[in-house]
Parts: sequence; structure tokens; C-alpha cells
Amino acid sequence: MKRLHSLLVALSGIALVLCPSVLRAEEYTFDVSETEKKPYSLGGYVELRPTISWLDQDAAMYKLRFYDRSEGPTLPEYKAALQLDGSIEKGWATLFVRLNTDYLDSYLGSEFTTTAFEAYLSLKPAPSLVITAGKRTFKWGKGNAWNPVAFVDRPKNPDDPGLDLEGYVAASVDYIRSFSGPLKTLSITPVLVPVSDHVNEDFGEANHVNIAGKIYLLLYDTDIDILFLSGGSRSSRYGLDFSRNITTNVEVHGEYAHLNDVRKSVIGTDGSTHQTVSDATSWLLGLRYLSEKDTSYLLEYYRDGTGYTEQELANYYAFVNNAYDYYLSSESDALLRKAAGAAAYGRPNAGRSYVYLRVSQKEPFDILYWTPAVTAIVNAEDRSCYLSPEITYTGITNVELRLKGTVLAGNRLSEFGEKQNDFRVELMARYYF
Amino acid sequence: MCSRLLKKAHLLRYAQPSSLRRTARTPHSSGFRKPCIWTFLSSRLVSRVVLLVLFGWAVPAAAIDGPELLKQVDRNLNPASYESYRKLINIEPDGRQKEFTLFTVKKDRDKLASLFIAPASEKGRSTLRIGDNMWFYIPNVGKPIRITSLQSVVGGVFNNADILQLDYAAEYDVEKVEEQGSEYLLHLKAKTKTVAYDRIRLWAGKEKKLPTKIECLTEAGMLIKTLYFKDVKDFGGGVIRPAVIETDSPLYKGYKSIIMMAKVKARDFKDEAFTLTFMPNLESLR
Repeated sequence: MKRLHSLLVALSGIALVLCPSVLRAEEYTFDVSETEKKPYSLGGYVELRPTISWLDQDAAMYKLRFYDRSEGPTLPEYKAALQLDGSIEKGWATLFVRLNTDYLDSYLGSEFTTTAFEAYLSLKPAPSLVITAGKRTFKWGKGNAWNPVAFVDRPKNPDDPGLDLEGYVAASVDYIRSFSGPLKTLSITPVLVPVSDHVNEDFGEANHVNIAGKIYLLLYDTDIDILFLSGGSRSSRYGLDFSRNITTNVEVHGEYAHLNDVRKSVIGTDGSTHQTVSDATSWLLGLRYLSEKDTSYLLEYYRDGTGYTEQELANYYAFVNNAYDYYLSSESDALLRKAAGAAAYGRPNAGRSYVYLRVSQKEPFDILYWTPAVTAIVNAEDRSCYLSPEITYTGITNVELRLKGTVLAGNRLSEFGEKQNDFRVELMARYYF
Repeated sequence: MCSRLLKKAHLLRYAQPSSLRRTARTPHSSGFRKPCIWTFLSSRLVSRVVLLVLFGWAVPAAAIDGPELLKQVDRNLNPASYESYRKLINIEPDGRQKEFTLFTVKKDRDKLASLFIAPASEKGRSTLRIGDNMWFYIPNVGKPIRITSLQSVVGGVFNNADILQLDYAAEYDVEKVEEQGSEYLLHLKAKTKTVAYDRIRLWAGKEKKLPTKIECLTEAGMLIKTLYFKDVKDFGGGVIRPAVIETDSPLYKGYKSIIMMAKVKARDFKDEAFTLTFMPNLESLR
């Protein structure tokens, strides 16, 4: 028996030595004090973003912006930003402030701008009830590049949909209930948005208190929102959005918005303006697919009922060209200033029909921390396009580096063909703290 | 098969070769001529050891209730509803590492949420799981987007299914249970196609009914990754469980990921804390 015992002990010892799963966790430490929660927090990021653009001096938008300047074929700009997020929490209450300071050095000179993107007080007496008042964003909608149902948010830039946006002053309540059947979650969010000469003055017509709302359901594993806005500062509108995984690696989403009495101002080639008031319908349909090799595809189609048709845009660009020719011959910029005043034509996507495709590959060929991606936006009517390859590096903790190029292409009198740039290169370096 | 093994052991025990047949007793002998090595090999204990080694420790445990055992493993690993802090470390082949600290809350079988509290670039991001639905929330983007279980919001060997792991009994059926020495080996099969791994082999200690190793497999039995549960620790409040989970994968040679647990505490939550609308407010649960 003694010999057997010795033999078994010896065999066990050999097995332990050879066993590959004996790893020493004591090489790594977890200091529990790292998890202590403080009643306040302060964080944010600092960012540098130099860009250089190659100008298209024959483009209508170049003529509109630079008719009285000579900037040469390239235009450098130096941007920097500091974003500070601070919060204080006591009991139910949380005070949150997000301050954004931008620095821009461009052909117009240099300037600092500091804006409170958000500043609100939030009360959470229970997880089923959250009351918020102050300046904040809502970010309604499921689309990535566009959100026709974002009734109480500023429009985002499809070129960089993840950028923080400035909010509006509003009061809201989130009332949430959970269930165990096919309807797992129901939440109701009424919102009040006051508009006056000094509050939310760019939201719409002043001296109104607008009412908006969202009902959210998680029903049969589908996110569904029903949304509306009414009250006078903007035309009343209602909408719907949804998002669902149809397989484990394919997600579909969509938005639908109906806007009543939308005013649209259209400029003809001779500069004549006429306004229409009509209902408009905007909708978006999107699909996200993740392949086995971690390649992510995001495809969206967007139909903007308030957008300009191919002919309307072409007429506008033709008017700008005519206005520029008139300026050259008469030195009068009256027509050009009229064209510049039509702000709706200058928004990032003024057309009616777009296709968005973004493809990104996480760490290709096992090259760690590098993520290349390419984004394409096509105006589906005039076939002009925006193409933007980029590469991001996140190998240094709390640092994000991104190099991004942009190419704009299209015929004359097309949307992207008449943008002021042909190409642009941008470097972004961001440090989080 | 078991009964044939035992019968063979019995025969080995009692069969006597000619050298052991009874011989005439003398005053100085027991009546049997027994070489020492044969005595050793024919003993009951050695027989069982030899059989276990020869047949790979696999003795089907027909009397064990597999689903009940799996539930016990789940409960011993975590309370039904709990909060915890975890540090996730991704180690690259060149030795570099990235660390993430998460606050995790879970309720019942199918609700789980995690909030990133470090590093600064990830702070405020969160993930939510309700059954088969998973979302990822980035404060800058401001709205949660749906993600899949096989993605990884942190990179490394762990994927979202590992970070947002529900009870194994919620996602897997027990196909069979084997006894392997001091451990049970549970063969698990995914209940639905949406579960991250088609099959799992889970080793759990008989005494504490805690997992020691888990192999995650495809339908065809190909190994995807292995999780090792180590450093059993008393977290207080009756929670005694492995504090460290290490994982490696033949698909990611040279990579290793580690989860270190801290402050695992039973805690009850309202269901509404696990909703899309509440995701931006998860920090208030800390």
C-alpha cells in the first residue's frame, strides 16, 4: 500500500507539471479601490484635427464661398477641440454638464467657440422613472447616417455620425415597465421643448411650447418606437422606427416620418423663388451584417421627402453659376448673396434619395488595433458620390488616431460634383482622460 | 460496459494462475505461493485505478440529474441576481495588454448589463442583454445599437457572449453527464441557433460543484476556446466561486484573455434597470 501511495503521488506530481492549464493569475492584479465610486466625475477628451482640402474651382459651391477671395488650389484648416464631461451625483439626483470648446484656424481667421452641449438635472427615484430637465440630446431613431424621426435633435453630419451634437433645452420623463411575455419592455417618454427669443431660438418659430413624445416597445425581440412632435415651432410630425436581428449576425432597421405642412423654398435658374407647403414623407431602411471574419457592412437607403429633386438641385447650381458670371461682369454680388441665403441647399445632404454604405474590417491580417474602413454616400438620383476611406489606430490606451481621405465625384450640376472640394485629407488625434 | 468492467475486475481479483494454486501447507507458509508484484496488481484498489486510467476516467453517471446539476453549477458560480466588478485583460502575443474594468449586474436567467468604468476611452459605454437580444451603448452616439454574441466590444479572445454570460441552464440542454474522478463532465448542447457556442463541455468539481474548465465547440466538435476557472475565493455573503477566468483559443494562437472578479454580491434589481431606455443611467446602480 505504501508503494502504491508513493507511486500515485509521483504520477500526480508529473501530471501537474505537464498540465498546460496551470497559469499564474497572481501576475495580474485587480485593485478593488479602482472600483470605488466617487460622487463626482470629470472626464472628456482633447482632440487635434488638421485637414487639407483640394478645391474644385469650377464648382458652384466654390464660387459661392470664394467669389471674392483667392485661396489657391488647396485650403488647410487646423481644428482642435476640448470636451469636458462633468457630473455630480447625490441620492436620486445627478447633475451633468458637457462643455465643448472648438478652435478653428481657417482662411477666415482663428476663433474659439465654447458651447454647453448638454447641461441637465436628472432625478431617478426608481429605475422605472427618470425625470430630466435642462439642455440635452435625445438621439431618436435607428439609422446610422440619417434619422428622419429625430424630431427634437439637430441633424447630424453623415460624414461623421458619431460626433457629439448640441442639445435643446427640454423637460422629459421616462416611464419604463418590464413584462415577461412577448412584450418585454414598454417605455413612454413625453417631452416639452419651449422656444423663445432666447431659448432654443434655432429650433423653430418662437413663443411656442412644443410637445413631443416617444413610446418604445421591445416586442417579439424587435425594438419599436412610435414618435411625434407638435406645438407650432416646427410643423407637426409623427413617425415610427424599428430594429431587429433577423439572424445572429444580420440586423435590419428602419424609420418612417410623416411631416405635415412642410415649407420648401425652390430657386430657379433665373433666381426666381417659389415656396410650396405640403406634407412630406421621409423614410430609411438599413441593414447591418457582420461576417465571420469580423468585416462589418452597413447599408442604408434614405428617402428625404423634404429634399430637392435632381432637377431642383441642378437649377440651383445653374443659378449660382449665372450669379457668379453676373458678379464677374458687374461686380455686384447681390445674386450670389441671394443664392447663399437659401440655406436649405447648403445642408450636408440636400437631395431626395441616398444610398449609404460603410464597410469596416477589424484588425485585418491580425494587425492589431488597426481598423480600416470605407464609406460611400451616393445621391441615387444624380449618381454623384462621396467616397471616404479611413484607417483608425487604437493601440495606445486612451488614444485614438484616424487618417481619413474624402473624394467627391459627379457630373456638373450634380450634388457632389458641385461641392467646393474635390478631395480632402484629415488627421484626427484624440486623447481621452 | 460498466458492468462488464466490474466483472472483469472481479475476475482479475479472484482468478489465480497456476503459480498461485494451493500447495501443501508447511509450518512456514500460508499455503499460497504469491509473488509480490502479482499481489499488488490483483488488489481491489489497483484494479480500479488501472481501469480508470485505461478507460480515460469516463464513467457515465446514470444516476445524476444533469439539468439539476447544471443549475447547481450556475447558482454556485453566481447568485441568481447579483452585482460584480470585473477586470478584463487582453494579452497580445508580444506581451502587451489592454485592460477594461466593468461593473456588471444580472437578474434571473436572462437579464444582464455591463458598464465600462475604465479606461477613459471606454468609460460610460455599456452593454445590455435581455434573452437573445444584445445592445451596445456609446454615450457619444447616444443610442444603443444591436450587437451579436460573436462580436467582441473589447477585442481579445472573449466575445460578447462570454462577457454577457447568462446562466448555462438558460442557454444549454444537458445531453449527458460523466464522472471523471473528482469531477463531473457535462456535455451541453445549445438550445437555439442564436446561442454563441453550439456545444460545450463543462468540467465541474464534485465537491463544490463549481466549473473548473469549459470547452466551447462548434456543432462538428471543433474547439473554439477553452475557459479555465481558478482561484476559488470567498466573496462573502455565501458567494464562493472562482475569482479568475482565463481563456485561450486555437483560433487566436498566442493570445490570452483573463477576467478577474471582485465584489461579487447578491443584489436584487427592478426589471426596468435592464431596458434600453435605462441604459444611459446604469451608472446610478453603482
